[in-house]
Amino acid sequence: MERTKIFLDENQMPKKWYNIQADLPKALPPVYSPRTLKQATLEELSVLFPMEILKQEVSQERWIDIPQEIRDIYAVWRPSPLYRALRLEKALKTPAKIYFKWEGISPAGSHKPNTAVPQAYYNMKEGTQTITTETGAGQWGSALSYATSLFDITCRVYMVRVSYEQKPYRRNLIHLWGAEVFPSPSNKTNAGRSILKDNPEHPGSLGIAISEAVEDAATHEDTKYSLGSVLNHVCMHQTVIGLESKEQLKMEEKYPDIVIGCVGGGSNFAGISFPFLHDKLKGNKKDLRVIAVEPHSCPTLTKGLYAFDYGDSTKLGPIAKMFTLGHDFIPPGIHAGGLRYHGASPIVSSLKDQNIIEAQAYHQTEVFEAAMLFAQTEGHVPAPETAHAIKSAIEEAKKCKQTGEEKVILFNASGHGHFDLKSYELFIHGKLTDYEYPADLVKQSLKKLPKIKED
Amino acid sequence: MKTLGFLVNPISGMGGSVGLKGTDGLYEKALELGAEKISKKRAQVFFEYLGNTKDVKLLVPSGEMGEDLVKNKGFEYEVVYNFKGLSSREDTIKTVQEFKKRKVDLIIFCGGDGTARDICEVVSTEVPVIGMPAGVKMFSSVFAINPKAASEILKAFLEGNSRYKDSDVLDIDEESYRADKFKMKLYGYLKTPYIPNLVQDAKTLFEGQDEEMAKEGIAIFASEFMSDGSLYIVGAGSTTAKIAEVMGLKKTILGVDLIKDEKLVASDVNEKAILEHIKDEKSVKIIVSPIGAQGFVFGRGNQQLSSQVLRKVGKENIIIIATPQKLENTPFLLVDTGDDELDNQLSGKTLVVCGYRMAQRKEIRKD
Repeated sequence: MERTKIFLDENQMPKKWYNIQADLPKALPPVYSPRTLKQATLEELSVLFPMEILKQEVSQERWIDIPQEIRDIYAVWRPSPLYRALRLEKALKTPAKIYFKWEGISPAGSHKPNTAVPQAYYNMKEGTQTITTETGAGQWGSALSYATSLFDITCRVYMVRVSYEQKPYRRNLIHLWGAEVFPSPSNKTNAGRSILKDNPEHPGSLGIAISEAVEDAATHEDTKYSLGSVLNHVCMHQTVIGLESKEQLKMEEKYPDIVIGCVGGGSNFAGISFPFLHDKLKGNKKDLRVIAVEPHSCPTLTKGLYAFDYGDSTKLGPIAKMFTLGHDFIPPGIHAGGLRYHGASPIVSSLKDQNIIEAQAYHQTEVFEAAMLFAQTEGHVPAPETAHAIKSAIEEAKKCKQTGEEKVILFNASGHGHFDLKSYELFIHGKLTDYEYPADLVKQSLKKLPKIKED
Repeated sequence: MKTLGFLVNPISGMGGSVGLKGTDGLYEKALELGAEKISKKRAQVFFEYLGNTKDVKLLVPSGEMGEDLVKNKGFEYEVVYNFKGLSSREDTIKTVQEFKKRKVDLIIFCGGDGTARDICEVVSTEVPVIGMPAGVKMFSSVFAINPKAASEILKAFLEGNSRYKDSDVLDIDEESYRADKFKMKLYGYLKTPYIPNLVQDAKTLFEGQDEEMAKEGIAIFASEFMSDGSLYIVGAGSTTAKIAEVMGLKKTILGVDLIKDEKLVASDVNEKAILEHIKDEKSVKIIVSPIGAQGFVFGRGNQQLSSQVLRKVGKENIIIIATPQKLENTPFLLVDTGDDELDNQLSGKTLVVCGYRMAQRKEIRKD
């Protein structure tokens, strides 16, 4: 009988994170300050982030130690199981071997605590009393609330107002873990107040919530800011996912032919894929295919431009070179809210630019079809974001059926969809809309990116 | 306490067949045939769903146009207009004038496209209107799906939980009707309350918005991509008119205008004028918004965009725009250019711009 779950012992948990910056064929372009349009200095950024995090952000060391205190907390849900999707394979009648890494078992229900915990830890070490952050539908906000509660740090979450009002469950989780959560725009910040003055009913946006959280951190003593994706250190913290997967596949005497992850900001994709890309960049696994999957409605990597752009719509955050749809683009309301980001991690962007990884885009309804098949065969209900990776894995497995190849496909099941059942209900009743990014028309109009002269 | 105007068109339901242009004899026959039953029955169902809503006052016309339906139902009401003999469109217009004079908060009517058009003539978008369908063909988008839906919209309105959208008022173009052609004309807009579908797009940023904000997003995007030097044939409707507004141009809402390099080239053009203007242009594009409840892109309400014009411009140069609120109620879009081959070409999946740098994938079908 084939094994369904592959477990690692707690003492087999990775002791170091993998920092892919050490192996990138081209060094990352520097980050620029939105105020001066010159290279951002550590001093500027240290208002928002603790020094250790900033060091990790620019570090060229290949391996960075995971402190024991963090590993002790990781042990609450790590090492996470690697599953063989035997029943899905059977339903697809594919000779491919499909594996998925199940991150839905963390307290917050996704991969997010993998970075929330170290970020809270380093802040605690440097005396931070309060951490601010933004959250859209509440995934990141709940993960950071959990992490800060472990270190006795106050957490203030600015949650996009429409989600705050319409998505009470994540908001309740944030409360449950002892954090404060405000609907954004709020009257706690200048940014929020000025927007409320014009429109007291403003539904909010992620960009506005970022501005509020950043302003809060910058204007209060002992208060720092935390971001749940995109940045280099966040991607690095997530590499525990891929490092464990590698060990688990080794136990099965397997190595993947294809590694798949969904991309919003890029951190869960980075987590599953970077440790395998390590081999590819060393020249050992030249044929390894690594696929980043995104929605057609927010096709950053497939339709965006590789350019310097602001990380947020209010132009407060640093300017980085990345694939972008433009910082003023507000992605449409797809149910995979976590994939609604105009840009992508600078590292993931650079890998795509150099064709080291590939990118695919799918429509919302076909993604939910894949999610349903997964739930009906494997039992676990995936988050709509995760379902993008599932859709891609299914497509690749179908190709194997045609060619007869027994490829090993690994994807990251980044989170569960227990709070997304309303979306499933709408899909079942045929009420989901397929949004698509009108790339040609945008090309006709795209002229608003910041002008950066590379040194 | 809210004051609501309520009126029924007792003869609606005969729409395209005997309809409003019939002779007196046919008129009476229509009544005999049961036209009255349709609107009366619909209105009765509506009041059943509504139950005993206490804090409203109803203003009604006399007899079967209103009073008969509300008396003895426990509602506070007042007859504001008396009509004699058979009700006519003048009676509708006069009733609505009374409503307007008395500053009603909302008008509810039971009727068809003709009734909507008569109401539109008096109040336009000044007073919100809920339409209850009582006809066979209902092209205007002011109508609730059924009396139950109408009662729910009214309840939401009374609780302050509704939002507003512009609904286009369409009616059969009488001239073409006489020439035995089935053509619809856009007559104007009514302001209709609706209950935003809060669930549909729970994670989105725009679902909390009014249709007006969505229109603005579309218009800003359009104004950006329209600066490409092409001549733009801009169709009728309030969504397309918003583009002109954003550019600081004055566009006719009900007509087709030509815009190039953010300048108005010609206003309210007919087919002939369009063909003349595009004759020597290098690049010509069309921007249209679907019209009416059924979502016609071509063939209803914009006859100026004839098959000859469309063929000349080419399918690839047609840009369709529509607000999410409008698209939510139209599962697919329709074309009926009178040119079967062209209709076939236009059919299939297409992108519809529905916000700033945002589109939906929609299907176009032949009528």
